[in-house]
This record gives sequence, structure tokens and C-alpha cells, in this order.
Amino acid sequence: MIVSRRDTIKAAGAASAFALLGAGRAVGQAQKVITFGGSAPMSGKDSDTGLNVLQGYKVAVQYVNEQLGGVKIGDDTYKLDLQIFDDASDPQRATTLVQKQVDGGTDFFLGSFSSAIVLPAAAVTERAKKPTVQAGGGSDQIFTRHFRYMFGMYPRASRQLNSLVAMLQSMNGEVKTCSLVTTNDPYSKTQADGTVESLKAAGIEILDVFRLPPTATDVSGVVNDLRARTPDVLICTTHAEDSALITQQLIATGTNVKLLFLALGPETPSFRANLGKYAEGIVFIQYWEPSYKFSDPYFKSTENYYKYYKSVTDRKESYQTVAASVCITSYIKAMQDAKSVDPEKVRDALAALDYESAYGPVKFTSDGDGDPVLMGAAIGQIQKSGLEVVFPPKIQTAKLIIPNPSWSSR
Amino acid sequence: MERLIQSLVDGALQGSVLSLAAVGFSLIFGVLGVLNLSHGVLVILGAYLALAARRAFGLDPLVALPGVALVCFVVGYVYQRFLISPAIRRSNLLSSLLVTYGVALVVQNAFALIFSPDNQSVRPDYANAYFRAAGVTVNLLQIVALAASVALIGLLAFVLHRLPLGRTIRATAEQGLAARLCGVDIDGIYAVTFGLAAAFAGAAGVLIGMLFPFAPSSHDNWTIYGFVVVVLGGAGSASGALVGGLLLGIISTLTSAFIGPAYPNAMVFLVLVLMLLVRPNGLLGNAFGGSR
Repeated sequence: MIVSRRDTIKAAGAASAFALLGAGRAVGQAQKVITFGGSAPMSGKDSDTGLNVLQGYKVAVQYVNEQLGGVKIGDDTYKLDLQIFDDASDPQRATTLVQKQVDGGTDFFLGSFSSAIVLPAAAVTERAKKPTVQAGGGSDQIFTRHFRYMFGMYPRASRQLNSLVAMLQSMNGEVKTCSLVTTNDPYSKTQADGTVESLKAAGIEILDVFRLPPTATDVSGVVNDLRARTPDVLICTTHAEDSALITQQLIATGTNVKLLFLALGPETPSFRANLGKYAEGIVFIQYWEPSYKFSDPYFKSTENYYKYYKSVTDRKESYQTVAASVCITSYIKAMQDAKSVDPEKVRDALAALDYESAYGPVKFTSDGDGDPVLMGAAIGQIQKSGLEVVFPPKIQTAKLIIPNPSWSSR
Repeated sequence: MERLIQSLVDGALQGSVLSLAAVGFSLIFGVLGVLNLSHGVLVILGAYLALAARRAFGLDPLVALPGVALVCFVVGYVYQRFLISPAIRRSNLLSSLLVTYGVALVVQNAFALIFSPDNQSVRPDYANAYFRAAGVTVNLLQIVALAASVALIGLLAFVLHRLPLGRTIRATAEQGLAARLCGVDIDGIYAVTFGLAAAFAGAAGVLIGMLFPFAPSSHDNWTIYGFVVVVLGGAGSASGALVGGLLLGIISTLTSAFIGPAYPNAMVFLVLVLMLLVRPNGLLGNAFGGSR
């Protein structure tokens, strides 16, 4: 076969082009990626709040990749990748999904929503020695098993309502009696148990503690008892669906209390929209408010975070969304502090974190839950359809309204 | 005493809605022999249709109820004729379990996509009116729901026992082959029966949407309640569903009042197991079981 000079030039040209393209691809492949794995309830009974958590994760990843162009850790720049799958509010499905990702080599995990899911998933990541940072589980059981790799953005459940009890105590004897409604799930039950202890210590009488099954469809019996022995304050450590059911049945039977506290529900816009004018005066845990003024090493400030959040999503913000976003940036801060993406070093850096974020101060206890003083909840109240902070006084945006008007006069 | 009367009243009011929600499940199981695992989805479909009618046209849920029932009838008819029936024909009755379970999962996710997974409610303002008499508090909407449930279940009983269509349905249920030999369009009757069941489920869904918060995942509860009502009351009859539903409601409220609010479900399922052991055909028996 005769090879002409033209053929040789063509072949050389093709080879050069191929080499250049290949080199280009190799440069593309050099872009390093940090993958965050995990699951979230995108369907099922916890999806209402689960989607808030997921949205927070998504917004932070998008911000880091698009606004910051990735993150520099040591000498390398990394892009972030989110691999969160739908666990359908099912703990069993969540553990299967997380185990699959552990087996696939994922090193860093983000938590699902609800302690019933976070708890079993934590056992999987703990066994694999992979860190998890989460904004969806507060049960004491998550933080009292000496897990080393689990970090939560909230104080453990039994400490979460300390500020509520402090608020009730500060009312100069206006609140003398409380009743509690709780569901038999790891988060709600421990939150109620801790609150009972705090109320006793504060000298507030507890009339009744009602325990509901995890899937309650009727609470008429509880409401009847509340009418017979009406407390000044009704504290419901329940999830959004149960909170809505209890409130509806209180309204439908004209059962009035001076103050109604719901641990979960009022922070979601759909809850407030469904109740309309009857949502006024309801008190709830307020971990975060867009008006807070915190600085942040990545989002710059709470204000800037909120501005960006609103520019990229229509889903209304809640404290879970910003806490979830800060799970991502806390990981980045820990990686930068450790100058490494080695899971063990990142774990140690997470344990040592102590910084201010768009969500507020971030500092974990030695058990991995949020510091009860620095990361403790404020108390919010729905007033004129908006969310106001009513306790503690130093960050108060409005005064607590008590007693609430009766349902029929709203 | 007041506590007992209040619990009985609450149980009866709650049970009437459970009866209406379950009567379709009972009818399908009694006539077609199909355990419809997507029954709860038809109930929730009713609630979502009422929500859509309210959002789009500002319609009161009770005004929308006949329209919702009609739409659900069509959905049920088409669902049976073109999905469940071919599945059973190509395999056996058991395949309907898989098909209905699969449909429930698909529709649940479709609801989440269309309406979001958030909790919803179609509760109008008048739903919160109540009165007190002799120490017993009664919500007016529950009275309306009771009246609507009894009226609709009565209508179904009338159709089944007094109209030619009802006689054909009962004949088909008792002896399908004999009915076919007499010229009855069995496939058509099955589809109409399924459509009727879906219409009743949809109507119940409207009332449920007014009484309770609902989300795409709520359908599970209503399928389970349908099953419990059938076991307690017996399959295939309107009266069986009514008795089963009332029993379920009263057992729940009495347990909540006198044992504790954590135990209604446990007690209901305990009674369910006892009933399956002692009287597997339910209190009123299978309306069509004797001649099968």
C-alpha cells in the first residue's frame, strides 16, 4: 500500500485533533466532585416537611456551584453533587437507599426528615464510618447512642421546648396549667417527655398527657377530655398532619385554650392557608426568621441567603430549609478546616465547628446535636397571617398575644 | 355518663362517614370478588376533585358532591373495564391485587405532582358550627355528613333491591354463569358496579376532605378502613357496610375515651382478628356468599 504525503498529513491532523479532544475531556474529568448522598420524604406522610429539607439542600448546592463556582479545599476546587432519593417517608426504604449508597462509595450523607427515618439510617452510616449532617431528626435516641458520625442542626428533642417553658414561666403566673398531646414516635415522645420534666421544674401543673398512635385519624376523645379539663396552654408535640387534625377538631367543637402550641405544622404555608383566620395566635417553634441578622462565610448573610433562596425557588421558606442549606455549608466549612475530604478528618472538623451561619450559630455538643443554648429555638406566633418571634425578648419581633380570642369570635 | 354518651355520638357520626367510604369496597368485594387495594385512592380522588372545583370555580364541596360522584363513576367504570377486567381475564383474580396496588402507588404520586404532597383541606367556614345539648357537643358538619351518608347508602340499597339494575347486579354476583346464560352482559355489569363503588367512594371523599386534613398518602387509611368494615359488617350489602362502619367508629371512640387515645387502632384490629376467627362472614354475612 502506498501512503501519500497528503494521507500522512490527514492522519497526523486527525490524530492531533483526537489527542486535543481527549486532552480536553481529561481536563473536564479533572473537575473534582463531592457527592452528598441520602434520602428525603418526597412522598408519603412526611413529604410536606421533607420537601422543605430537600429544597434547602438543593438551594445550597446550586448556590455553591453557580454563585461560588465550587469550593476550594486544600489545593483542589470541587463542585458539589446531590444524590438524594425518595424514601417515601418509610424508614425501611430509607435504610436500603442509604446502604446502597454506602456500598457505592458515597462518603458524605445528609439526613432525611423525621426521627423515625433518621435514626435507623444513622445506624447504617455510623457502621460505615461516614458522616451525616441532618436537619430533620431531633429525637434523643439519635444523640444518646454515642454515634460519632451523626450531627444534627437542632438540640435533642427533650431540650427543644426549654424556651417555650421559659416563656410560660416568665408570664408572672398567667399560665398555671398545661396539657400535652403527643404521638408515639421517637421525636414527639421524647420532646413531650423532656417538656413534662421542664414544666414540672418550672412549677406549672400538668393536667393530662395524651398519647396518640403514629397514624391518628380522629382525636375526638382527646378533645372531649380537653373540654372537660381545660388547661391554660395546650402543647402538641405532633407532626404537621396530626397538628392540623387536632386544631380542626378543637375549632369544630368550640374547645378553647388560652394558648395553643404546635411543634410542627404552623411553619408550613399550606397549614396556615388551610386554617385561614383560625391559624391566628397559634404558637410554634421558631428556629429561624428571614429577618435575623447573621453573617455567613458562604452566603455572606441571612439576608443574602434569603434573597438568593427566593430567586431560585417558589417553595416558601421555613426554618427547615435554611437549616438544611447550612448542613451543606457546614460540611464545606469542616472540609476547608480539615483541608481534606477524608471522611474521618471531616468528621473531626465537624465536631469542632463553631461558627456563625445564615441559620445562626453552629456548634454541636459532644453527642452531635445542636448546642441547646446557641442553637436553641425561639418561639414564634402567627399574627396577622405573618410569623412573629415572641420569645426570647432580645430577638422578639412582636409581643405574645395571650389569651387568644375564642374560635367563634375570629 | 356524659362521657359515654359523647363517645357514642362521636362514634356514630364518625362511623357513618366510614360506612360511606367503605360501602364501595364492600360492593366490589361482594360482587366482583376483587380486593380493591386502590379503594382509598378513589376516596382521596373525591377529596381532590372537591378541592379542584373549589379552587377553579369557588364551588362549595357539598354542591360539588354530585359532580364529583359522577366523575368518579366514569373513572371507576373505565378503570374496571380497561384495566382490572383484562388483567383478571389474562391471569386470575389474584392479579387484581397487584394491579390495584400498582395503580394506588401511581395515582398517589400523580396527586403529589399535581397538588403537591402538602396537607390539604376543603373545609368551608360553616363546617365549624356546633351545638351543645345535654352536655354533649356535636359539630354540625358531622350531622350533615351523617345525613348524607345515610341518604346515599339508602339510595344504594334502593338501587340494589328495587331497581332492575340492582337485581341484575345481585343476580350476576350470585351466579355469574347463570346470569350470562340469561343474556346479562356480565362485563358491563361488573364495570357499572365498579363505577357505582367509585362514585360512593368519591362522595365519601368530599365529606372526608371537609372533616379531616388529607394528603396523597392518606389513601392507605381508607383502604384499610374499607377492609375492616367489610370484615365487621359483611361483604356486598349496604346494610353490612353501615353496621361495620358504625361499629368501627364506636369501637374507636370508646377505646379512646375509656382505655386511652393511643389504643383505638389496636382495639379495632383485635376485634377484626376475633371476628375473622368467630364469624368470618361478618355480622350480616356475605350478601351473595350463600349461593356461590
